[in-house]
Amino acid sequence: MSVSHQRAAAVGLAGCHTCGKVSPLSLGRCPRCGSRLHLRKSRSVERTVAFMLAATALYIPANVLPMMTMVELGESTSNTITGGIAYFWKGGAYPIALVILTASILIPLLKMVALTWLCLAATGKLHPSPGLLGKIYWVTELMGRWSMVDIFVVGILVALVQVGNYMTVTPGLGALAFAGVVVLTMFAAMSFDPRLLWDRLEALQNDPATSNHVDP
Amino acid sequence: MKNAFSRTLRSLHPWPKVPGGPYWSACHFCDTLHEATALPEGVAARCRCCGAVLYQNRPASLVRVTAFSLAALILMVVVNLFPFLTMDAAGIRTTLNLVSAAKTLVDQGSPLLGFALVLFTLVTPLALASGLIYVCGPLLFGRVAPGAFVVAKWLNQTEPWNMIEVFLLGVLVSLLKLNKLADVHFGIGFWAFAVVMVCMAGAISGIDRDEMWDRLEVAKS
Repeated sequence: MSVSHQRAAAVGLAGCHTCGKVSPLSLGRCPRCGSRLHLRKSRSVERTVAFMLAATALYIPANVLPMMTMVELGESTSNTITGGIAYFWKGGAYPIALVILTASILIPLLKMVALTWLCLAATGKLHPSPGLLGKIYWVTELMGRWSMVDIFVVGILVALVQVGNYMTVTPGLGALAFAGVVVLTMFAAMSFDPRLLWDRLEALQNDPATSNHVDP
Repeated sequence: MKNAFSRTLRSLHPWPKVPGGPYWSACHFCDTLHEATALPEGVAARCRCCGAVLYQNRPASLVRVTAFSLAALILMVVVNLFPFLTMDAAGIRTTLNLVSAAKTLVDQGSPLLGFALVLFTLVTPLALASGLIYVCGPLLFGRVAPGAFVVAKWLNQTEPWNMIEVFLLGVLVSLLKLNKLADVHFGIGFWAFAVVMVCMAGAISGIDRDEMWDRLEVAKS
């Protein structure tokens, strides 16, 4: 894929982030909705990296600490994310085990890998393949919220299973950490600006000398 | 009177443009500049560089958004009045609805989780639905509600945090987790919430962002 069409930034036009109206950047604010005009999201890569580092730090306690503790007839069992998946897998509930595996482990991990790749490509350390990476970004933004499913499960179980001495469920710190991971990765994905990838590609085409920094 | 009638009629017309032009549209993904031409209803414009959707003309957009959002709001009342799930275990029946679930989470020492639950499943959908009604309802009559521009700005920000469908998947998972330990039944609240999910999806996808802003701009001028 190549950059061959006229791009808005090249003629000093900016599409408003809020309402989509294209106006000259020199206006400063969008004439329609009053939002500040930017050519690109401000400090996009720095913000994405910051949110992602925070999310990665929280990802460890999210997996190590229990999501919830279930006390059944005086016997308490703690459930971590992986423990919950193993519970369903052993019980033969494969589809539900796969749903939790995807939502709680695969999506957050793939999201972090994808965002790292996107940030590296946007800063010129990897080849910006905007066609492929654009799609990866789109999927990343779309899938992020589904990781929340495990948090909601904890919430529902805690609220529902309060049967005195017979059975109670209490939320663990792992749930809080994991909720933090989901929210932070969502912010990370929102902060990234996919147009940076196309800017890189354009720079490469105009100035092939910079291409020796980049994998072929 | 005649003027009001013609304003209403104009709002039923597909996607008006502010007089003047030509209008431009920049792709959100690759920043390629396109001339934003008028589209027939039900057609989407795609970026010629990366193929992402630029804008689309939804049929009967204003009516659709208002109707779906109203339905969602009314059903939200049902969701909160009726139990969501009922569980029978050891001779004790517990019922759950959204607010009581959040309250239990707070009582159990997890106020942040309770807050997140209420925020993502109750506050955000309510804010989205009422915001859409506030902006699109008056537009049906060719008018702009006071502060509609500010509300419309906030609508974009709230949209990703509406997690009804994720919550419903969570309900299914917890049901499977519990079915060996207790007898769990869906309540009316659950079914109402499932319909709210469909209504919210209909409302959000009912109108294109550019169309909503163009209509606001035309109605204001």
